[in-house]
This record gives sequence, C-alpha cells and structure tokens, in this order.
Amino acid sequence: MPELNLVQAINQGLSQAMEADDRVVLLGEDVGANGGVFRVTDGLYKKFGPDRVLDTPLAELAIVGASVGMAIYGLRPVCEIQFEGFLPAVMDQVICHLGRMRNRTHGRHTIPMVIRSPHGGLVHAPEHHSDSPEAYFVHTPGIKVVVPATPRDAKGLMIAAIKDPDPVIFFEPKRIYRSIKEEVAQEPYEIAIGKARIAREGQHITLIAWGAMVHTCLDAAKRLAEEGVQAEVIDLRTIAPLDIETILASVAKTGRAVIAQESPKNCSVASEISALIHERALLKLQAPVKRVSGYDARMPLFRLEKYYVPDTDRVVRGAKETLQF
Amino acid sequence: MPLKKIADFKIERLEVLDQEGRADEALVPAVPKEKLIETYRIMVLCRVFDEKAFKLQRQGRLGTYPQILGQEATQVVPAMCLEKKDWILPTYRGQGSYFARGMPLVNSLLYWGGDDRGVKFPEGQNDLLFAIPVGSHLTQAAGFALAAKLRKDPSVTLCYLGDGSSSKGDFHEALNFCGVYKLAAVYLVENNQWAISVPRQFQTASQTIAQKAIGYNVAGIQVDGNDVLALFKAVGDAVARGRRGEGTTVIEAETYRLGDHTTADDASRYRSKEDVEAWKQKDPLKRFKLYLLAKKFLDEDADIRFHKEAEREVEKAIEEYESYPEPNPLDIFNNTYAQNPWHVEEQKRELEAILKTKKERQGPIVTQSEGRFP
Ligand SMILES: Cc1ncc(C[n+]2csc(CCOP(=O)(O)OP(=O)(O)O)c2C)c(N)n1
Ligand SMILES: [Mg+2]
Repeated sequence: MPELNLVQAINQGLSQAMEADDRVVLLGEDVGANGGVFRVTDGLYKKFGPDRVLDTPLAELAIVGASVGMAIYGLRPVCEIQFEGFLPAVMDQVICHLGRMRNRTHGRHTIPMVIRSPHGGLVHAPEHHSDSPEAYFVHTPGIKVVVPATPRDAKGLMIAAIKDPDPVIFFEPKRIYRSIKEEVAQEPYEIAIGKARIAREGQHITLIAWGAMVHTCLDAAKRLAEEGVQAEVIDLRTIAPLDIETILASVAKTGRAVIAQESPKNCSVASEISALIHERALLKLQAPVKRVSGYDARMPLFRLEKYYVPDTDRVVRGAKETLQF
Repeated sequence: MPLKKIADFKIERLEVLDQEGRADEALVPAVPKEKLIETYRIMVLCRVFDEKAFKLQRQGRLGTYPQILGQEATQVVPAMCLEKKDWILPTYRGQGSYFARGMPLVNSLLYWGGDDRGVKFPEGQNDLLFAIPVGSHLTQAAGFALAAKLRKDPSVTLCYLGDGSSSKGDFHEALNFCGVYKLAAVYLVENNQWAISVPRQFQTASQTIAQKAIGYNVAGIQVDGNDVLALFKAVGDAVARGRRGEGTTVIEAETYRLGDHTTADDASRYRSKEDVEAWKQKDPLKRFKLYLLAKKFLDEDADIRFHKEAEREVEKAIEEYESYPEPNPLDIFNNTYAQNPWHVEEQKRELEAILKTKKERQGPIVTQSEGRFP
C-alpha cells in the first residue's frame, strides 16, 4: 500500500468520489489550475475539467449559497473555503439554510453537500489563518462536522461525507497536512461518520481530541506512560454527532477524562462533551472532567500561537491534575 | 409601443503619462513639485522595503509576506491625496498606503513577522488596521463616511480593495449605502489583474470594475494605475467631490502584481512569464522618474540619493525589528475586553503559572510538532 500524507489522502478521496459519481462537483477559490493553496485539489482540474472543478470568483457566501442551490438541484457539491477564518462570512447560508432546509421542507429538499476548510494553528500563518471555529457549526442543528486526524481516516471520511445525505463540514487540520504519512488503501472506502476511534488503549485516564490535537494527546499519553499512567486516547473523528457510546464506555473504564482542543474554551465542543459525561456518567467519575483548551481571547499572531494552542505539557498537566484530584 | 432609452451610461479611462513618462499637459493635475518628489521618494522606499522584506522571508527571518512590487503608485498616490483627518482603510497588501501616511517601517516587519506589536500606529491620524478577510472593511468605510456626514465633518474616507475583493457582496452593499446617503468616500480598486491564481476575467464578466459604480449611482472611472499623474488627478478630483458633498467615487486603477501572490505562492503554476514581462515595461516608478527627470524636478544624483537613503532606512528598520524584545505571551489576553471578565483573567493566570514552571525546568517551551504554511 502506498504511503500518503493527509493532503494526498483527501485528494485521492475526492478523486475517487468524483469518478464514482458524476454529480460530485468541486468549487472554490483557486481550486482549479492552482490546485488549491494547500494543493488538496491538485491535478483534479486537469483530470475532470472545468465542468467538475470550478474556480469561483472571490465570494465565500456565494460559494456556499450556490452550493446549496446545486445540492437541492441534484448535484453533490464539495466546496472549499480557503481558510477557516473566512467561514464567518458564510454563516448566513449555514445557519439559515444549510442546517434547516430538510426540516423546513419536511424532507422535500435536502442538501447533500460538503464544505471543506483547513483548521487550526501552529503553521506560522497570517492572522485569520489559524482558527478553530468548529463550535459555531456543531452548535447549528442539521449539520455534521468531521475532523480527521490521520490520512487513512481523511480519505474514508471524505468519501463518506460526500455520500452523506446531510451537509457536512469537513475540517482539515493544516498542521498535519504533510507531517503524518501512513499506508492508505488504494481502493475507495468509507469511514463511518459519527464513529470515534480508540487511538491508544489505556485504563487510567481518557484523553479526548479531534484533528491535530489527537497527536498532541498521543504524545502526552507517551509521557504519562513513562510515569506509569496508561492513558486512553479517543480520536473523535466526528464532532457532530458525537460518538457518545465510545466516550462513555471509555470513561466508565477510566473514571477520568481530559478533553483537549485548540479553539476558545467558552461554549466550545469540549464544553459539550464535558456536560455529556457529567450528565450521563457522574457516578463513574473519580474527578471532574477537564478541558485543556485554547483561550477565551483572540488567536494571536504567530509569534505567540504556541502559547495559545495547548501543547503536550499542558495536556500532561491537565491529566495529572485530574489524576490527583 | 417603441422602446425608449431612459438612461445612458459611459465609463472613461484616464491616462496622463505614456510609457516613456511623457505627459499629456492638458491633463496634468496641479500638484506641487515638492509633493511629487516626496511621492517618488516614498515609492522608492516601498520598492526597497519590498525587496528586503521578500529576502527576509526567504531567509526565514519574516513570516508570509505579500509583495507590493509594481503597485507602488496605486498604493502611495491615493494616500498622498488625503489630509491627516481623513480616514484610510488599506488592504493587507497595503504597506505602501501605510508608509505614505507615515507609518514606521518596523511596524510592517513586526506584523508580518507574527508580532502583534506591529499594529501600533502613529497617534493622531486616522488609519485603520487592514482586514485579512478581504472586503470585510468595505461596508465599514461607508460607516466612516456616514459618521462624518452625520457629524458634519468635511472629512473623506479612502478605502482600498483588490479586483478579487470587488466580487464580494460587501462591495456592492457598501456602494449602495454610499449612493443612498451620498457619502464622501473613495473606493480605490487596485486591479492588479489577479486574485491569487484567478485572473481578472474570471472574477467578473463586466468589461470594467469601474462600471460597477453605475448600478449605485456613484461616480466611476478607470485609470492607468501605473501612472502617478493619472492617479493624482482621479483621486484628487474624487476627494474634492467628496468634500463638496457630491458623493462617492469608485476608481479602478489598472496595475499588475509583478510578484507572487505572497511568499507562500508560486505564480508560475498559473501565469506566463511573457505576461509578467509585458507589465514590467509599464513600471510605475520608471515612468514617473522619466517624467520628473524631464521636468528637472529630479536628477540622477538625487535619485541615487533616494535609493541610498531608502536602503539605510530599511536596514535600520530591520535592525530595530530584529532587536525587539521577545513578545510577552500574557499579552494574548490584553484588550480582549475593556475589563476582562473572570474566565479570561483566570486563563491568564493559568498561562502565567505554566510559564513560570517552564522557566524553572529550563525545558523546551514547545513540545509539539509544527506545520508549514501553506
Ligand atoms: C474573505 C477572504 N477570502 C479569501 C481570502 C484568501 N485570499 C487572500 S488574498 C486573496 C486574493 C485577493 O485578491 P484581490 O482582492 O485582487 O487582492 P490582491 O491579492 O490581488 O492584492 C485571497 C483569495 C481572504 N483573505 N479573505
Ligand atoms: Mg488582485
């Protein structure tokens, strides 16, 4: 099996989904001849032509609004928002239409489309290129949100997202776009949306994360293991809907949980997970669930981003506080 | 019934200097000699700064940087047409606009070097920090102009944008406001023919960007954006109209992005060398210099002096930039609110404690891998 990085794996997933279904159309800024600023759509314009891969004018709201129309018409649009920092502009479509159309029309009109966008910090990028806005989407009913952490998952989740009957926001953790390689099966396959993965087994504490932060948690688990603590790491893969069974089963075993995320803390995905665990497994807990998080302040310019995004130290610290509670 | 013509529109293009820097004397705007020379000096400074900033990035001493190479005139001249009290809203590719307003070079280096301290602008002048989500400042500009009108201030708002940004709804919503309230605003579209890899003709099907003004009943004109005198005339007229209470002007300044989109881009993937070479012949600095030489406003010695002074000024700024003390991580929390609420303060103390233990352990500050942009 060939080794692929995340960019190549998503590219392959897109390409195979387009081969399998001619309703799949890509659109976005610079996704054509340039292959996307991160090269995720590299070669697809050449392979599928201008009727399948569309370079759009610079207009995020129109990219998403047009995708909504195309999806209701019968296509399967996969649109790219070049950076997550430009997603706020599309929230009008996302909140007012994307998540509501099925319900408003009693199932008559549905929006099987995907919005792809890079996610997260630590790439020394300019302002608005390092954010983690997943909570805004998770908060919105009717939308699924996927954040892969490995090339293998990225490909399978992309194919599943395109086939999904509901709109899916597909966040691509840009910090690990190229830094992680693994063997990825050549043939098309799906990874089920809504199913988490146990990235490492352990019985003393559960570390929960998605996207690039999964790798920070795996690092932290290694460090904890040196001190005799066996941490279980859950890679959520999908953050809406959450795989509540996997989370609760792990916490039932360990009695302790730390959730690590890059986004601000207030009203975040970690807040939701923490609430769920407390509501449903309070008597299994040996300590309150801990959120190790980005701060309730703006993501700073990149000289200081390493202090904002939780690092291994902060996850280990959070785990120890939980263990020593 | 026969169709009747009920409205008639035209869009004009203004050029004053030809490629050899010869002026159409009938069109030369009345700009004092000293101002012309100062404009040239700042344009030289921009060029030198741009070159050095590009090299710094390549050497890993600066973050991602958007070059302004070839757009010195479209950035500097409009800003030179304003007074201190007027507001300007440049774009992220706006170093030239800021330098023309007197922003220290070191600020730009700090900002593109990833240091938030770069945003401290000189006191007493009205320059807004650019918006990275392009076009999101366009309706704000209408707001500045609307506020000025409500307060009966005779100030004008100058708002820059790119050809790509003109595709955003923001542009149209802003112009509509400007038209309805007859606001003293000037929208300077730096049409550099590209929005990253997307060429101007894929951005809009309309023949010009200037003509977008027609739909909102504001004035619109296209100018040769590599022609300093045409810019002085068009922007000067637009500012004067604004001050007289006659409303908004859209100026489409045709220029060219001679460099890559940013240092993270590789333009050879999507455009030809010939295209770039052809535009190099229309270099705004070269044409303006020829004009100034012919007018005897400048001689070769003075030109060399400007370049040398610019080199020195830029070197000094780089030195200052690189000898800046490390930024304080706790600054992350400052100014989140006028008065930070408990959770922000709590998180600040949390980071403070972490920094303290790290210092004591002398360990690495960052223990995780970092990625690459883009
Ligand atoms: C809202 C938004 N979408 C996308 C981007 C990414 N991006 C940065 S610059 C750019 C092209 C802008 O083109 P233009 O307005 O012509 O300005 P230029 O870069 O040519 O100066 C794009 C797509 C952005 N910064 N903001
Ligand atoms: Mg442009």
